[in-house]
Amino acid sequence: MKELFQAIYGGILYGSIYGLMAIGLTLIWGSLRMLNLAHGSLYLVGGYVAWTALNQWELPALPSFLLGVIAAGLMGLIIQVLLINRILGRSEFFTAAMIATLGASIVIDSGALLIYGARVKQMPPAFEGQFKFSGVVITYQGLLIVAVAVISFVLLGLFLRRSRHGLSIQAVSQQMDAARLMGIPTVTTFMIVMAISGALAGLAGVLLSSVFYLAPTAGFNPMVKALVVTIFGGLGSVKGTIWAAYAIGLLEAFLQVYFGSGAALPGLFLFMIIMLVIRPTGLFGLGEEQRL
Amino acid sequence: MLKVSNLHAGYGGSEVLHSLSLQVGDGEAVVVLAPNGHGKTTLLRAISGIIHPTAGRVEFDGQVVSGKRASEIVAAGIIHIPQGDLPFPEMTVMENLLMGAYRPEAWAERKQRLEQVVELFPVLGERTNQLARSLSGGERRMLALGRGLMAKAKILMIDEPSLGLAPFLIENVYQAIREINKNGMAVLLADENADHVEGLADRVYLLESGTVVKEGNVADMLRDEALLAAYLG
Amino acid sequence: MMNDTALQPAKTTQTSQRLDWAAGPWSRANRVFLGVAILIMLALPWGVYQLGIGRFLLHLWILFFGWSVVAESWNLIMGVGGIFSFAQIALFAIGGITTGALAKHLGWNPWISMWLAPITATIAALIIGLPSLRLRGPYVVLLTLAFSELVRNYHSQGPKWVAEGGYGLRYVPKLGLDEMLGSDVGRIAYYYIAFVLFAIASYVIWRVFHSPIGMSFRALRDSETYAISRGVDPYRFKLLLFALSAFFTGLAGGFYVHYNGNQSPAILGFSVTITLLAGIVLGGWGTFWGPILGTGIMTVLPELMREVDNYRNMSIGVILALLAIFATRGLGPLIGDGVRKLIQLFRKQPQAG
Repeated sequence: MKELFQAIYGGILYGSIYGLMAIGLTLIWGSLRMLNLAHGSLYLVGGYVAWTALNQWELPALPSFLLGVIAAGLMGLIIQVLLINRILGRSEFFTAAMIATLGASIVIDSGALLIYGARVKQMPPAFEGQFKFSGVVITYQGLLIVAVAVISFVLLGLFLRRSRHGLSIQAVSQQMDAARLMGIPTVTTFMIVMAISGALAGLAGVLLSSVFYLAPTAGFNPMVKALVVTIFGGLGSVKGTIWAAYAIGLLEAFLQVYFGSGAALPGLFLFMIIMLVIRPTGLFGLGEEQRL
Repeated sequence: MLKVSNLHAGYGGSEVLHSLSLQVGDGEAVVVLAPNGHGKTTLLRAISGIIHPTAGRVEFDGQVVSGKRASEIVAAGIIHIPQGDLPFPEMTVMENLLMGAYRPEAWAERKQRLEQVVELFPVLGERTNQLARSLSGGERRMLALGRGLMAKAKILMIDEPSLGLAPFLIENVYQAIREINKNGMAVLLADENADHVEGLADRVYLLESGTVVKEGNVADMLRDEALLAAYLG
Repeated sequence: MMNDTALQPAKTTQTSQRLDWAAGPWSRANRVFLGVAILIMLALPWGVYQLGIGRFLLHLWILFFGWSVVAESWNLIMGVGGIFSFAQIALFAIGGITTGALAKHLGWNPWISMWLAPITATIAALIIGLPSLRLRGPYVVLLTLAFSELVRNYHSQGPKWVAEGGYGLRYVPKLGLDEMLGSDVGRIAYYYIAFVLFAIASYVIWRVFHSPIGMSFRALRDSETYAISRGVDPYRFKLLLFALSAFFTGLAGGFYVHYNGNQSPAILGFSVTITLLAGIVLGGWGTFWGPILGTGIMTVLPELMREVDNYRNMSIGVILALLAIFATRGLGPLIGDGVRKLIQLFRKQPQAG
């Protein structure tokens, strides 16, 4: 029974983190149709800025975290304005965007190396302490991560479903021509998408830096996981992405608990390869039409 | 109100519209008649800024709008209801309609506008929470018209409202357009045949190969069956 | 974006063989030029190793030859086949693992076991190639990334004989050239082996590039109608590209593990992939000379920028971003255009005068 609870707790924790990372990629794929290879670097920006605010400027926790999130959102916006806006509509957009975001990610990662050095840094958790539930150790930081993630998903859902700009993101993703005919400025919409997805990646970076450590290469693994979740969730479907995040999180946690931590990643990737071979549109993908 | 003068436009080097001119007055309903492939859709796309005209100009309410971005043209009060409806498939009917009211002036009044649209198309009111992709062809057309009405525009440009519909639905659609026009909205209709324009449009432009070959009022034109047969086949 | 390719069939006229021969200064393999180039390359190490840093320069050359082969092979599936595969280093590592483990643990002669490296790499490529060819772009990225991560995991945490507790393969027998010829001449011998590997791989890849189907693939990238109309199954051609690309990559991996005497799982980290990809993009992706030029730059650059090492990666990033905006095709075609214009200029000069 302890194992089961352990796996469920771990799965929900992982799923929350993967979801935060993956939704940004999903929104970007849905509206811009590109893979943002700088997503992991935005995660870094969030983590490092929050760390700096907390440890060097000695701000309280909440404003520091907020600064991290805002900085990552801004960085997303900068990438969009400086790079992506200039290559929109080109025939080789997919390739060019991949190269551009790869370049941006190298610049950010090596910038982190220059400023902070290669030594790993750890953020103190926002809440110290833990308790035991059926023998499973549950940390307050873990609960915070789950709560923040779920709240973000709900807020994002409301934003996408209720607000003018949120609806317009969906409209652009689903029918670009009609969106333009309704007077929706597509470039502005793309900028909103990049800022939001950057902020979400930054949020993941802020929250996770106290669980894992912060290093100039620390953004890669979360990004690969996010890529996995995004594609698995059917590319561009927010709902599918959230389901896929928790499904993959749970799968990983179960593999970890029952087969040892060494089995988790290979098991996950093997499972994914098999899924891609037998179900090429993703676990929750509803085909090309369904985007957000 | 809308004045198109000597408009040239096309796609990637091949010109479709050659020096096309036309006008639509305040609250007027005008129809552009031509068989497929003579530039109706291109004309509407060039006016709404989806493609940029290569020469000539479009004026609306005294200001030049040609060359501006699509969003600015919508903001000026021109709404283009595209051929094939192009609904947002994974959004509900309600969300589709709300997107029609994207411009801030319209968004502020979205509740009243929704009521007006639902009054005109009761079927949309019954389906507000249904995804647009689940609608029938007729309902989708209503949705496209309703979405266009949400924008608080001064002129609606409608591209082939009868396309792909069953005959009994077509009558409903034209009835609705007539109603819209009666409420004071100017309408520029692009159509393939003259069957439904009587009692709807005031004036007609006949297009051939991307330019106006004949203009006149509807009653005169429709009487001239030989002329219509020659152009529309 | 995809639709745009529909407008491109006009280009296919250029792909008829006759026109292509006249296309550029390098398209025709000028025999004199080629012969001189080969002679220079063969004589080069004897001159270089007289220099104080000769051994190190030769090492750079060997690195360049090896990574060029990998870059060219990767470019073959990505630039010609239009398949966004991120499994190239994994195939390289599989080659290294195969021959390294055989030589180290079963006592095989590396000269023999090395030939199994390309074979296992090819088999692995066919296994991931078969499903990825039926998938759309992003799914291929995922599949190949997943495969690459699997290999990395196996290499660092797998059985003791490939992972050694995270160190990968260490103390792999070398090719025995140092013992036989002394370390200086031995290094030159390694240079020759690497050069031959590079020359053969480049020749085969050049042939694929200039075969009619290769040219049509380059012109159309993801539109397969032309290939089909030529009576060629694009699926089989892409599979052939996959296999060919894996063969040379695996061979390079096999050579490497016996040159270095070890293979760390760190090679499967993102930074190696990025460096390689950056080289291909820098040089010109989808072109024959691009990956070679790019790998050359990426081999020399770190050495030139040793003092400002910290800024090296950053400048690579900046260059990539600039290329994406201003020259998506890379430096190779830019230089090619420049040379062509220069030649035209010189040819016109006498007439003008």
